[in-house]
This record gives sequence, structure tokens and C-alpha cells, in this order.
Amino acid sequence: MIRYVLKRLLSLIATLVVASVVIFVAIEVVPGDPASYMLGLNAAPDTVQALRDELGLNASKVTRYVNWVSGMLSGDFGTSYTYRTPVSEMITERIGISGPLAIYALLLSTLIAFPAGIIAATRRGSVADVSIMGATQLGVAIPNFWFAMLLVLFFSIQLRWFSAGGFPGWDQGLLAGLKALTLPAVALALPQASILARVMRSSLLDTLGEDFIRTARAKGLTTRQTLWRHALRNALIPVLTIIGLQFSFLLAGAIIIENVFFLPGLGRLIFQAISQRDLIVVESVVMLLVFAVVLVTFLVDVAYAVVDPRLRAR
Amino acid sequence: MTLLKVENLQLSIYDNPVLHDIDFQVDAGQTLGIIGESGSGKSLSALSVMQLLPKGSKATGSILFDGEELLDKTEAQMCSLRGDDIGMVFQEPMTALNPVQTIGEQVAETVFIHQQVGRKAALEIAAQTLEHVELPNSEFPLSRYPHELSGGQRQRVVIAMAIALRPRLLIADEPTTALDVTTQAQILALLKRLTSEHNMALLLITHDLGVVADIADHMVILRHGTVVDSGETGTIFKALRHPYTKALYEASGHVPERSVKHMLPEVLLDVNAVSRDYRLPRSGLFSRPDSFRAVDQVSFVIHRGENVGLVGESGCGKSTLARAILGLEKLQEGSITINGEQVLADMQMPASLRRQVQVVFQDPYGSFNPRHKVKRLVGEPFYLLDSPPAGADYDMAVTEVLESVGLAASDADKYIHEFSGGQRQRIAIARALIIKPGLIVLDEPVSALDVSIRAQILDLLAALSAQFDLSYLFISHDLTVVRSVTDRVLVMKDGRIVEQGDTEDVFSNPQHAYTNNLLDSVPVLPGADNP
Amino acid sequence: MESGIFRRNLVIGSVLALVFLIAAIVSFFWTPYDVTQLDIANKLKKPNAEYWFGTDHFGRDIFSMIMVGARTSIAVAIVAVGIGLLIGVPLGLTAAAWRHSLLDELIMRSNDLVFAFPALLIAIMITAVFGPGAVNAIIAIGIFNIPVFARLTRGAALSLWTRDYILAARTAGKKSFRISLEHILPNILNLLIVQGTIQFSLGILAEAGLSYVGLGAQPPVPSWGRMLAESQTMISFAPHLALFPGFAILLTVLGLNLFGDGLRDLFDPRLRRESR
Repeated sequence: MIRYVLKRLLSLIATLVVASVVIFVAIEVVPGDPASYMLGLNAAPDTVQALRDELGLNASKVTRYVNWVSGMLSGDFGTSYTYRTPVSEMITERIGISGPLAIYALLLSTLIAFPAGIIAATRRGSVADVSIMGATQLGVAIPNFWFAMLLVLFFSIQLRWFSAGGFPGWDQGLLAGLKALTLPAVALALPQASILARVMRSSLLDTLGEDFIRTARAKGLTTRQTLWRHALRNALIPVLTIIGLQFSFLLAGAIIIENVFFLPGLGRLIFQAISQRDLIVVESVVMLLVFAVVLVTFLVDVAYAVVDPRLRAR
Repeated sequence: MTLLKVENLQLSIYDNPVLHDIDFQVDAGQTLGIIGESGSGKSLSALSVMQLLPKGSKATGSILFDGEELLDKTEAQMCSLRGDDIGMVFQEPMTALNPVQTIGEQVAETVFIHQQVGRKAALEIAAQTLEHVELPNSEFPLSRYPHELSGGQRQRVVIAMAIALRPRLLIADEPTTALDVTTQAQILALLKRLTSEHNMALLLITHDLGVVADIADHMVILRHGTVVDSGETGTIFKALRHPYTKALYEASGHVPERSVKHMLPEVLLDVNAVSRDYRLPRSGLFSRPDSFRAVDQVSFVIHRGENVGLVGESGCGKSTLARAILGLEKLQEGSITINGEQVLADMQMPASLRRQVQVVFQDPYGSFNPRHKVKRLVGEPFYLLDSPPAGADYDMAVTEVLESVGLAASDADKYIHEFSGGQRQRIAIARALIIKPGLIVLDEPVSALDVSIRAQILDLLAALSAQFDLSYLFISHDLTVVRSVTDRVLVMKDGRIVEQGDTEDVFSNPQHAYTNNLLDSVPVLPGADNP
Repeated sequence: MESGIFRRNLVIGSVLALVFLIAAIVSFFWTPYDVTQLDIANKLKKPNAEYWFGTDHFGRDIFSMIMVGARTSIAVAIVAVGIGLLIGVPLGLTAAAWRHSLLDELIMRSNDLVFAFPALLIAIMITAVFGPGAVNAIIAIGIFNIPVFARLTRGAALSLWTRDYILAARTAGKKSFRISLEHILPNILNLLIVQGTIQFSLGILAEAGLSYVGLGAQPPVPSWGRMLAESQTMISFAPHLALFPGFAILLTVLGLNLFGDGLRDLFDPRLRRESR
């Protein structure tokens, strides 16, 4: 078990190293000098030089990569070209919205998908199954940002239950914050829940067809006991993979959904940074998101080993 | 006293009748064998007793268990009966256990869903039961997972689950079919012991007449969903009064007619001190991968026209050896000489050697690309020739070879799914024959076939060998078959050949202890009075 | 009964997908109104007999814009799936043919790496470097499709490589490359077609998302995602601006998914047997 986790950890680090090189090189290719961009067209050449020195832009590429990575490791993400404030401060502030949003959506998605998938699989061919599958078919096809707009149209503009966007800040109380995140989380979660419910259903159907289910029935277990004691845990294995993959979709989706609801999260930050060519911010946020995705993949791998004893031996 | 009495049982699945009028009965402490080829309805009869039938099934008639009608019971009543009064063991031990639960939990589950006992008490009973099926707790603690056990050990766990509560009836559906012959003998002995110790009735379902002959007191023979013959085991084998019983019996012990040894003195294949290593997955990122020696210093020869058997249990290295002879994998040591041309260790086998050897596999369903027509399938080995026939010549060669294996020229334009298992095996033989090789490696060629089809294929192989001076390397775990079709036999164990010699000598007077053990494990058909 | 549902999926799906495909093709030759022509006098008209889906804040005909938008969506998604297939399938076949080799390891690890970048992140990086545009959207979605097809191909090919007919081909002296083309590829084609339609519909969703945040097709090229973005500020008084492009995306994706499901059920003999 320990060896398995260590191996996964090693591959996590390797992925992060390669990813950081890819991101660094990609951003390096960008034409244009951030220093002259920051100082405007009329800046004197020696002022630009001075700023380049200050930003560390004159060092060799390797030194700059090492500085960037070691800086990130110690929590220093550099200084924003446009705002002249530490990137880490900007990120911490924004992550307080994007992080809870993604987790909120993941929870919602799982809470909807599991029961739906289980009901559909155990009552295969019934009205419940057909309606759940029909609903998920729609859920998979609907673009989440459009669904978000419809939610705003209905719950904010028509019913006035929620505000149409913006975020009051966590200092206004947990409830106010959660309320502001509810519509965005629902918009993010429903399409993902549809996918997850479909995977849950097919995985459970596969498991219910396995030999050991018949063995369990021969021991005298009822169908319900067989489901809870034997089928679910085995069916969970492919479902876990999908939950892991979904996290990265949720992060990406959150970037778009934040735009619909004018939430000041990482998504808004990254689009502002792109339009202002504040590349150090883009670089850092992308790296951070990749880190989150890779970390979740790692956690899913560990969860695998907990669920499936066959992996622990490896 | 009659424990189970099945009368006039009829079963249809989605209005498709599959069982017509099945009758049998079994007494406490007795064993009833239910025999049949695939599609005879033997498994469905057993599942009817358990009331674990596939969706859409409808059973009528009567199944009396201890005087109570099972067909009238509710699902809840059946649940309390299953596992408590009636236990069941299935064919495939590799998939019959839940892979994510320990064996202890799985055996204990039988106990605590039927009895009001605590977890600890249930585990205590599980431990005793595992001991009882000869899985000592010291070696197989309750915390083991199924993937840590071999097939035979898993089957013992399944049996433990079925007998934990001392049921009065045990149903075993092909319990040893997936196991090696020595393991089969052990499991059958275990079942025998358990039935007599607990005065339990055993319903043993199998396709193997030898297995029932060994263990059953009574037997019924099913065909196409009806009982064709039934009675006391000894009487049935003596009388062989029903034609189907007789046909089955004869096919099971079938010895193809083979002309007097047509073996020529010329050495066709010379395997000399061959070793094959498998690389094991690396245990750590920086450790060097270990390797496993699957074939260890094996030497033997096959003469032209000679049929040589290679027997051994799963994992002994016989398939690895076959792959080396086919040139599919390089040798680590030694050499293989075919028709005077040699291939050494770490060398690719050249096409000129490959041409001399072709192969027939076990599974008639996985041996063919489903998207190609027979014409293309059979002609695939032509790729080995420098100037393969084309156009009309090609078609003629295909026709000729199809006819030589008993198929029609018109079969060339069909797809493989249009053929039965036996016909597919004929096509596989045609594919092996088409470039007229000297040697055909037959890797369990009849193991997946019903006995009657098996007999036909064995006859065909014997005829072809005589006609074309073909040599065979006949690989099989089935000693009876090997004995009936080979001139010489090699016995393999743990990558080495432990004994070789003329088939009759080895079988009648084995020198090596392992060979002896193998032969003792083979279920024997009793001699009939009027064969 | 179930086979009826399967056929219904296939029919409804192909009809929906075809409607949008035809709309996209027809838009090259004819649209009810010129989508580049501004007509402020007729701005923000509700749907009526003259303008079936109404007009936007510049007086452009929504129906015509949706027809032209179909062109953008379908083109981006097709090319992106093409990139995924053309690069991913050979990679997957190669990895499976030389399974457990260093090459296999390298291919699969690079796939994992790409999976760490969701399509949107790739698009953001490309946009940051080269600026936004339809081509960059195609590349971003295409790159993301590569590991999807590579993994699928490798997984399916691996299970085929253990089949006896592959061994038979090898005893006939055929090399890995030829076997991959003759025996592996034809037998995974169904799988690839089904996954292709799924990635196609995902591509349409992704393109809409990228256009919505301004990383996709740039004005004046109409696209469904950008129509939605522009409609957002007017949603309270002109909801039709948001409804029609949204339904266009929903129905296209739904159609493709139903079509894909129908195809899979048609191809999968296991399901067919069950449905009998």
C-alpha cells in the first residue's frame, strides 16, 4: 500500500515538473516585452532596462525557470505586471471563491448522480429508469453556461429568489456566501451529475451481471442486500475515475460560469490578465489549476487502493 | 428418504421452451449426477431448484424439497432457504468471489444473514468452516483476499460458503471444469467427504462422464432439455441401454482409428536445451526487473509423421514452449532445428522455418478475425510464401484444403459467425494445412468442444496425419485424449520435461512420481459389459 | 422492446444532427437575411413572421445567424475530432503493438500530461500566446481529443492483441504494423466511430464555451457561444436572444449523443442479443 502510494506520488511530482516546463516555455514564446508594456510606449530605454532587472527578466531562461518554480514552492508567485501587487495575494483572494464553488458543485453532482444511477440500474427498463436516462440525456447536452443564464432568468429575474450575480464576500456570513454560490454550483453540477449518473448506472449493471453476485444470491442474500453488500463497492471503481476527471471539468467550467455570475474568482482573474497581457498571472493561475487537477488524480488513485485490495499489492 | 424430488419440470425463457418434462430425485446422503452436453439444460435445472433463474423465466411442474413445494415459495422464503438448507457451488472459481472482500467476511456472511449471531461468532464459524474444507487458518487467515488464492483454493472458499450452515442439499454446477486434473481430484474428494460426513445430498452437474462415474450414486442424462436416461450409476454404465448414453460413452473414451505407425525415421523438429524467461513487472522504480524461467532446458525431437503429446497442468510452461516453437517469442538459451534449419537464442525465426510449422488453438470462437471471410482467413499463412498463389490458383488451394477437412468449397465466401464450434475448428485446421507444413502445433484443440464433436475432430486429425505424413505436437491437459491420439508423450512440470517416452509405456508404467500423480487423478470411465 | 428504443435513438439523433448540418451547408449559399448587414431600425424584434427568431441589438436576423453559427460550430468540432483521430489512433495502436515498452510508457505518460490540462486551460494558454480565434479553439479542442482517442485505442487494441487470431497472424509471419492495420483497426472501428460522435458533440459544447468567453471565433464570424455572450446583458428584456442559440447547441449535441448511443447499440452484439 505504502509502495503504491509512493509510486503515485512520484508520478505526481514528475507530471508537475513536466507541466511547469510546458507552461513556462509556452509563455516564453509570447512576443513583446512585459516591461515596456507596463511602462507604456513613451518610456525611456534605461527605465525599461531597470524594470527588466527588477522583474528578473534579464537573467537566463534556465535561471528564470528555477526562480519561478522555487518562488512558487515558497508561496511567492511573483509580482503582477499590471497591478504591481504580489500574485500570491491576488490568487489567495480569488481561490476563496473558485475552490468552494468547485467543491460545492462536485458534492451536488455526486449527491444527485448516485441515487439516480442506482435507481436506474436496479429498476432497469422501468418508468423511473427511462425518465432518469432521458433527463440525463438532456443534462449531458445542455451547455452549462447557457443553463446558468436560464437559471438567472428564472430564479433571479422572474422569481427574485437569488441575486443575478456578484459575491458578497465570506465576511457577510457563510450562508450569504453559499447562497451566492448556489445557482453557479447548480449550473455546474447538473451536466456533470448527468454524466456521473449514466456511468454509475452502466457500471452497476455490469457488476450486477458478475458471477460473484450470483454466488451472493446463492448464499441467501436478497437482491437489496446483494446490491448494498457486494455490487456497490465494486461498481464504484470506474465511477471514481469519472469523479476525478470531472474535477478538472468543474475547474474549467467554473472559469466560464464565474463570467455568467460576475463572481470574482480565478476565472475572472485569468481573463483580465489575458486582456492586459499580465502573463505572470496567467502562468501562475494555469500552474495552480494544473496542480489541483493532478492532485485530485492522485487522490483518486489512492481511493482506488482503498476500495480495491488488488491494487494494494502492486 | 427422498430430500429433493423434481417432477414434470418445464421451463421457458421469454416463452422459449428450454426444459421439457424433467424428473429426478435425490435422497439424503446420496449423490445425483446430472450429465449433458452444452445446451442440454443441466445448469438451468439446477438453477430452477435454487429459483435463481434468468430474467423472463417461467417454471411449471413440481420441485419438492423435504416435502415442500419450492415453486410456490415467495422470494423471501427462498432467500431464507438458500445458503441455509440448500447451498450452491459454481463453475468459475476465479470470478465467483467478490474481489474486494476478504474470504473470512464472505464465508461469515452466509452465517450472519441466516442466524442471529454477532460478527465475531460468525467469523469464528467461518474459520472452522475454512479448516473443514482444508484451508488451514494458519496458512489462509480470514483476512486473505480472493486474488491471493489459486483457482482450487478459491473453489474451496466457495464450497465453504455453501456448507457453512450444513445445508441438507448441495448443488455443484461443473465445480471442477475450470481446474487442473490433480486439483479436480482433490475437490471431488472433498465433496465426497462432506456429503458422507454431514449426510448431505449432492447434486453434481457435469459434462464429464468420468467425474460422475467416480462419485455419483445415481445419474440422469439430459439432452435438449429432456431426460433421456436415468438410473443407478453402475447399472447405466453396464447396460448402456439408451442410444444417446451409449454414444456419449463411446465418444468420451473415443480412440481414433490410426493406421499402423506411419512415422518416418527423419527428424523434423529438434528442440535442444531451450529456455524461455519472462520478465516480471518491476517491483520498484529503480530495482532491476526480475525474470521467471517458464521453460527450463527442454530438449526433445519429433520425427516426420509422428504425433507427440505434451501434457502438464496450467502454468507448467507448455504454452510458452509452443510459442517458442512457433517463433512467436525469442529463446533465451538453446536452439530449435526444423527440417535441418536452425534458430538460436535471441534470433528471430526466419520465414523459411515458420513455413514448416502451423498452429491450431483451443478457442474456436477467438481464433478468427470476425470481419474476414473464410477464404481470406484460411489463406493467411500464404503470407509466408515467397510467391503465394493468386487469383484462380488461390481459390483452388482454398477449395482443396476446405474439402480435405470436410467442408464445402462454398463455405469460402461465408463469415466465421455462420459456423458452429466444431466447424470452426475444422477451418482452423484448414488454415494450418494450407501451406503444407511438416508440423502442426495443436494447443488444446478439442478442449472447448462437446464430446461427440471432439471425437469427430480427433478422427479428422488422425486421418490428416496419415494422409500427409503430418507431425503433431498435441498439447493438452486431458490425458485421456492424449493417450488416444499420440505415439509419444512428454510430461511437463515447472518448466521442465520430467518424463518422456512411448505413450503406452508412460501411461501403463509411469516412472516419475508426478506422472503417477497425474494419472491417478484422471477420472476413469468404468468398462461396459457390451461396448 | 429495448431494440425499439435503440432504433428510435438512431432516427431522432440522425434527424436532429442532419437538420443542423443541412442548415450549415445551406448557409453558404443562402440565408434569409445577410448576417453582416446592420439594420438598427429593426433591432430587438421579437420573433414574428418576418424574422422567425427575432433580431438582435444590431437588427441582425437571429435565424440567419444561427444558420451561419452552425457552420462555425460544426467546422471547429469536425476538425478537432479529426486531429484527435489522426494523431490519437496511431499513437494508441503503436502503444498497444509495443505494449509495456519504453515507447508505450512514453506515449501513455504524455497522454496523462495532456489530461492534466483541461481543454479550456489549453485554450487559455494558446490564446495568451497567439491571441484568440477559431483556429486556436480548434487546436485547443483537438489537442484535448488526442489522449481520449489514444487511450481508447490502446485499451481496445490491447484486449484484441491477446486474441488467438492475432497469434495466428503472427505465426503467418505478419509484423505488428501489418497486424495493427489488418486485424486491430477494422475491429475497433465501431468503437472509434461511436467515440467520434461523442467527441464531436463535446467539441460543439467546448467551442460554444470558448466563444462565450471570447476565446473562440472572433467577430464578425457569427458563433452560437458569442451570440449567447452578447445576449447576456439584455436577457431581462430580450430573452429570445439567449433562447434560440442555446436551443441550437442543446439540440445539436442531443442529436449527436442520441445518434452515438444508437450506433453503439447497433454495433454492440451483446446488447443486441439481450434485447431479443
